[in-house]
This record gives sequence, structure tokens and C-alpha cells, in this order.
Amino acid sequence: MKILIIEDEKELVKGMAQYLRQESYVCEVAYNVREAKEKILLFEYDCILLDISLPDGNGLQILEELKAANKSDGVIMITAKNSLDDRVKGLNLGADDYLSKPFYLPELSARVSAVIRRKKFDGNTKLVFREITVDLLGKTVMVNNQFVELTRKEYNLLIFLLSNKNRVVSKNAIAEHLSGDDAELLDKFDFIYSHIKNLKKKLTEAGAEDYVKTIYGLGYKFAA
Amino acid sequence: MRLLQRSLRTLLLYSLILVVLSIPVSLFSIREILNEEVDENLDLHADQFLSHIKKFTYLDDLETDLEVLDQLSYNIHIRPSDGRLIPEHFETISVYDSAEHEYRPFRQWSSGVDIKGKSYILSIQMSLVDNDQLVLVISVVQTVLIVLLVAGLLFLNRSLSRKIWKPFYDTLTQLKAYELDKSKPIELEVTNIVEFDDLNKTVSLLTDRNRKVFLQQKEFIENASHELQTPLAIFLAKLDLLMQSPTLSEADSITLMELEDTAKRMSRLNKNLLLLSKIDNEQFVEKEEIEISTLMHELFNNLRPVAGLEGITIAFQAEELVLLCSKPLIEILLTNLFHNAIRHTTSNGRVIISFKERILTISNSGQPIQMTPEKMFERFSKENTSINSTGLGLAIVKKICDTCQYALNYRYEEGMHHFTVKF
Repeated sequence: MKILIIEDEKELVKGMAQYLRQESYVCEVAYNVREAKEKILLFEYDCILLDISLPDGNGLQILEELKAANKSDGVIMITAKNSLDDRVKGLNLGADDYLSKPFYLPELSARVSAVIRRKKFDGNTKLVFREITVDLLGKTVMVNNQFVELTRKEYNLLIFLLSNKNRVVSKNAIAEHLSGDDAELLDKFDFIYSHIKNLKKKLTEAGAEDYVKTIYGLGYKFAA
Repeated sequence: MRLLQRSLRTLLLYSLILVVLSIPVSLFSIREILNEEVDENLDLHADQFLSHIKKFTYLDDLETDLEVLDQLSYNIHIRPSDGRLIPEHFETISVYDSAEHEYRPFRQWSSGVDIKGKSYILSIQMSLVDNDQLVLVISVVQTVLIVLLVAGLLFLNRSLSRKIWKPFYDTLTQLKAYELDKSKPIELEVTNIVEFDDLNKTVSLLTDRNRKVFLQQKEFIENASHELQTPLAIFLAKLDLLMQSPTLSEADSITLMELEDTAKRMSRLNKNLLLLSKIDNEQFVEKEEIEISTLMHELFNNLRPVAGLEGITIAFQAEELVLLCSKPLIEILLTNLFHNAIRHTTSNGRVIISFKERILTISNSGQPIQMTPEKMFERFSKENTSINSTGLGLAIVKKICDTCQYALNYRYEEGMHHFTVKF
């Protein structure tokens, strides 16, 4: 899987690339509009992470370029402005998703894998991890070919953990992913813990191994 | 008191004094002129009478004739002298008017005269204008004058204040309506009157300068918030990477999480500040029709399990209402109010949300607050320094209510905080 990161902040690029490489993505970088335009015309990418404000122009120009060249690379816009205008313009120009700064790397990783799944595996919408199979279209989960009933939150949690497998995901990142704006409130209550507990219980009761590890003080890790 | 009323008052007082003073003055001068005129007439009359008498030769019995004359004539009296020498003189006398049964003023010329060798006293009288009548007429005329003067001045004053002071009142109206945070600058007309143009120029200059400073400040807050997002993103990314290290000690892990919590809080602060400046900048002008009880229901359903964890019960009741408003703003308004209620409810407390007759009431149990309700809606005013809260939630609620012209109120009753919003 090839990912192009178009972003002018070198430190942020470094962090993003390092995290995504752990998921065995190949990451390339463009620091400005000029470099980005060269790269998108020369290569195909599975996913492009596009910062809207770049030193030599606006990221929306690149979206226009992609559209003009009839390229179907998945694009996730990243912006510091969180402006509705940019979001609407970007999505109209063919962007697949929108992420506002600051974000958690696990969130980025989950978005990237969602975009890639949508773009690449037309028809094949199954996510498999050992004995666990997730049907993304039907939103069902099977363990050893047996259906497991999960709530919407538990299902989202499982997908999120699977997209970040073998990496530690903090409680904050999970809370924000599951609840968005409501996450602010969740600080008061250990809401994540009960979701994790239920998910673990349902999966292990269906015969799966306990893959959700608690990492003391930090959060959780989905690993074999 | 208005400026023109003040000057008018002085003018009126002056005119009044003048008019009142003019009554005796005119009375006196008119009387003098009349007397003079009458005296001249009497003089002429006497002169002619005497010369005629001297020329007449057919008078048979002068004494009898003169007596007849004295008896018959109304205004000529001639009597034989009693020997006293009477010089020629004028005087004003009162004579009884038998027809009208009253005394009337007369001017009388008298003198001792010599007719055909005999001494007589001749007096000739002429009626004068009645003093009372004169006073009456003059008073009436002057009163009419006063009325006309006052009415005229009042009318002129009103039309003047309307015309001449129009630019001033225009400026005043604009200044009253002027709001620094509204995007429209003040626009003042050119009046061609030096004082007003000067005033307008100064006012424009002052408001323009204030606006510029205000806009710069607003822009600065927005830019600062934007610029902070990227370093924050780097900070969070590095923390996420550090978390993957297998050699972290437990103490390191806890420090790491504390760092992440802090970063998260900073990011939230930033987002709320941005939101405030966006509302200020009127970036939520698009309105649509929204059925808000559905919106409330969704929020309620999301929050109920969260609140349930702490044993907080939420009672919810809402009437349907379609409102023309900005959807993001309404969502933020409701979310912030609901969150605020839940956040400040202690374990096993209760929250009551009711929406009827366009009034949303959100009540939650809790201790009374120390600060005033006004202070509560200000930015960064927090009762306790809980990490959770940015201190901006209610400020945002207030800002949205101000922008959309909803009435926001707070009261504390029977151990519960009540927030009401009238849509």
C-alpha cells in the first residue's frame, strides 16, 4: 500500500509516516504543492493525506489536479482550520474524508485503512484477523464462523482496534473516535473501560483468543 | 432639556418682559400724543370762537346771548368773571355723561377773556379716549402679540430643531445603534455645516480606529488558534509514537498519559476559542428549518448511558417545534447545555430536560454557585478547576443565544440549577 503525505510540517510528517509504516504502508512525502503535483502525476497512491494550507498554495488545487487527471486515489484532507467551507469544497472535489488537526495517530490510521478498503477491495469487504472475521458491508462479526452480536459502539471499537493492531491506542484516542464531541464528557466516567470489557467478553465467549491487551496507564493494544 | 428649548426659554422670557413693559410705555406715549393733538384743537377752537365773537355786530344783548350759548352748547362754556384773573391753561377733567350715566374724561381749555369790554371766563372742552378703554385695547393687542410671538417661536423652534439639528440626531441614532462587533461600519452624511461635519469626522475616526483594533484582535485570536493546531498535532503524534515503545516504565506511562490529557485539553480550548471567533465572524449564517425536539432526543439518547454510569438520572420531555436556524449552532448550543448539566451533577443526582412552549429548561441538582450568573457566562470563569472543563462552554452558549436572539436565563431553586432558553 502506498501513501503520499502532503504536509509542510516536517516533524508532523515524520510522526505520521513512522506510525503508518508500522502498518506496513509505504509512505512518500511532498512538502509543497509543486512536489505534490509532480508525484501524483507520476505515481499511483492508495491514499493521499493532504494538508490544505501549504506554503506555495492551497491543497484544494491538488484535488482539482487529481480530478482533471481522472485519478481515483483516495484522499483524506487534513486541516488546521476545521472550516465547513473547505470541507464542503474538498468533498465536492472528490476527497474521501476530512480530519482536523490535532488528531491522534490511531485515528489517522483508522481513517486511512477505511479509505483504502473502500477504494481497493471492491466486492471484498471482509476484514480478517485470525479467527475473527468482520463483514464491513453487513456490519457483522464472526468468530470461527459463528455470528457475534455487538452493539454499534463495540463494532466501531473493534474496527478501530483492528486498524491499529499491534500498536498501543490510548483511551483518549478511543473515546474521541467513538464519541466525537461527547468525548469531552467521558473524562468524568470510565466509559471506554465498559465498552472494552464487553467487547472482550463477547469475543472470548464466542471462542476467540483474548487479543485486547490492557497496557498499564496508557490504554489498549490489539495483538496476537 | 433640549439645547434649543433652553435658548427658547431665554428668548421667551426676554420677549415677555419687553411686551409687558411696552404696555405702560405705549399707554403713556399715546396719551401724550392725543393730549397734544386735542390741546392744539382746543387752542384753534378758542381762537376762532373769540375772533368770531369780536366780529359779530348783530348781538343785541350780549349778556343774554352768551348765557344762551353757555346753556345750549355742550362743549363751550362762557360765564361772567367774578373778578379773578384766570390765565390761559389746559386741564383734564371728568364730566358726568347723563346719557351713559358715567364720568368721561375731557380736556378743557380755560382762560379769562374780554368780550366787548366785559370780563368772562371761557372754557372749551373736548372728549378724550377713555383711559380704561385705552388700557384694555393696548392690553388686548399686546396679548395677541405675545401669543403670536410664543406660538411662532415654538413653531420655528420645532421646525428648526428638526431641520438644523437633523444631522446631529442622525449621527446620534447611528452611534446608538453602533455595535463594535457588527460588521457594518458607521456611515455619516456630509452636512455642509462646519460643526456637524467636524463632529462626524471625529466620530468616524474614533469608531474606525476602534473597529480596526477590534478586528485585529479578533483576527489574532483566530490566527493564534489556527497556528497552535499544527504544533499540537505534532505533540500528539509524538506521544502516540512514544506510547509504542516497549521499554516504558509504569511511571513513564502515567506521565505520558498526563501529557496526552493536557494536550487534549489544550486542543479543546483551542477548538472552543476558534468556535467563538467563528460565531463572532458570522460564519454560521446559513439557516434551515430544523425540528429541534428530534435533535434533543438524539442528544439525550447519546448521553443517557454516559450519565447512567454515575447514577445520574435524566428526565426528558420535549414538544415538537420547527425552528429556522443554523443547524451547527443549535447543535452546539444544545450539546453544551446538556453537557454542562451532566458535568456539574454529582453522582446519583438528577437532570431534568423539558421543552415546551418554545422554552427549553435544563435543570440539574447541585450545590449553589458562588459567582453571579453574569460572571458564569463569561469566558474562562470556572468555579472549580476541573480538568474537564475549558471554561468556555457557557460562554459559547451565551454567544449563540446573543447571535440568534434567544433569551438565556439562569436561576437556582430548591437545590437545582435551572438554565432556560426561550427560542
